[in-house]
Amino acid sequence: MRWWCAAVDAPWSWVPRPYIGVWILCGALLALYFRSRAVYRRDHPDAPADPKDRRRAVWFVLGTGFLWVASDWPLGALGAGYLSAVHMLQYMLYTLGAAPLLLMGMPEWMLRNLLRHTRLDTAYRLVANPVVAALLFNLVLIATHAPVSVDALRSTQVGSFALDMVWLLSGIILWTPVVSPLPERQARSAPAKLVYLFLAAAVVPMIPGGFIAFSPEPLYGTYELAPRIGPSALEDQQMAGVIMKVGNLPVIWTVMAVIWFRWYERDQADVRRRRDARRVAAARASGERLSTRATRGTATADGPAGAGPAGADPAGTATVTAPGASAPVATAVPSGPDLN
Amino acid sequence: MGSAGTDVQSAEDSAGPTPGDDPEQAIAGNRRLLIAFAAIGVVVLVVGLVVGTRSRTAPSDWAGTVLERPQEKPDLVLTDTSGRPYDLRAETEGVMTLLMFGYTNCPDFCPISLSTLSAAMEDLDLTTGRGLRMVFVTVDPARDTPEALRSYLDRFNVDFVGLTGTPEQVAAAQRAAGVPPAADDPPGEDGDYTVGHATQMIAYQADGTARIVYPFGTRRTDWNRDLPRLLEGERPT
Repeated sequence: MRWWCAAVDAPWSWVPRPYIGVWILCGALLALYFRSRAVYRRDHPDAPADPKDRRRAVWFVLGTGFLWVASDWPLGALGAGYLSAVHMLQYMLYTLGAAPLLLMGMPEWMLRNLLRHTRLDTAYRLVANPVVAALLFNLVLIATHAPVSVDALRSTQVGSFALDMVWLLSGIILWTPVVSPLPERQARSAPAKLVYLFLAAAVVPMIPGGFIAFSPEPLYGTYELAPRIGPSALEDQQMAGVIMKVGNLPVIWTVMAVIWFRWYERDQADVRRRRDARRVAAARASGERLSTRATRGTATADGPAGAGPAGADPAGTATVTAPGASAPVATAVPSGPDLN
Repeated sequence: MGSAGTDVQSAEDSAGPTPGDDPEQAIAGNRRLLIAFAAIGVVVLVVGLVVGTRSRTAPSDWAGTVLERPQEKPDLVLTDTSGRPYDLRAETEGVMTLLMFGYTNCPDFCPISLSTLSAAMEDLDLTTGRGLRMVFVTVDPARDTPEALRSYLDRFNVDFVGLTGTPEQVAAAQRAAGVPPAADDPPGEDGDYTVGHATQMIAYQADGTARIVYPFGTRRTDWNRDLPRLLEGERPT
């Protein structure tokens, strides 16, 4: 049994063939994740329950699922040695599916502990810089899609494994400034995230994608000399180029839309909050005027003028007390042109 | 600072000192980072060197294997896909000829080699009339009838020539061409079988002599580079 998908000479077969290394990796990820959570809960019994905890677990399991689908039979085997289009689809699943979901699935304490124990804090801090992250992600993209790299790495299980893991790592680097569990490692503002994602993940990959799609000859010996399944070597490569060129756009633009709408909602909430604060401040000022007038016996609050002692509470609302009553019977919110 | 800032602070407290607080840890982290960057740099350098070297040396190299001793075109007469005798020397005199032994049920080598060559011939606008002939001799005459052979070759190029004969004739043709004889593998449960056979294409130039053979793995770009030179009469050395 082969432990990881690599290019083979044998014709393609639809008989399922699991790869033990993929199952071990995915199983180990899930086991470590849930064990860490259990240990953390045991060691921090007084830690407040995090309402996002369950959702994070779902993200992590989904991310592991993406990793498994991209690596195991049939996609893993097809992408390793038969079709460059599937090879490119694998790349998308690693970098745009598994990587962000695994990152989003990690609680803040887990990533902090992981970085501390592996002594990778400084490295993570550096790659979280959007410029560094964008450069590294695109450097990996270009280096790992160069024909010489693909042909050399896909021919062995170790090389193929290394290629897949480098893709996963580059995906984690790409998404760190956007969805890192460590808030201080995310890009500082929503507009910064939008610009970063647009340039790093949407624009740059179009260049190698176009080069692959419009090449007049097959670039990858691995796929050109593989037993054919469906399209010709050149058609397959053209599909791969198109996938690299535009396949990421639905994901990237959806994420950008979510960031933009959340930013917009936050902005609107800020506007509402500021308006409410102005109203309260104005009400206070108005209440003070009301209180002054009431003292002079010329109150204009709802109710008969001079019907009883009137005052203003600290919130700026004028209260009117009925004659002979000890408690206020009506509360009037002052209104004026500046409050509406 | 909002609640996020408070969370960060509390998390940092729970996680212990930050890397910035521990110079030793920061140095170790920086060292790892340096190693990572160096590794990436080495990869990029190697890729650049390989690509650069290939592009500089490729035009003067031959993609195939140059023979130490040139081989004459074999003197053989087999049956073509229309059922008529085909004298290889007579039919291809003065024409560059690629000779390959294979069979139509071949799952890998034959279809890949033929489709790669066919694509290159399209790139170069080469047809039989332009001085190149591809001759495919079956090593599985029991299953490869002339009709089956024609139908199979037409998938790649209608100008490809298909030859068959008795098992003895086919074995003699392989000996004459200097390739190892094909051998049937044991049949599976369904009675189907594969045939182990030589996978190279032998390139006989217009003078009837082969100086180079192309093993399995010859790519379209290799054909595009070598075929025009062979057709012009350049002798591989």
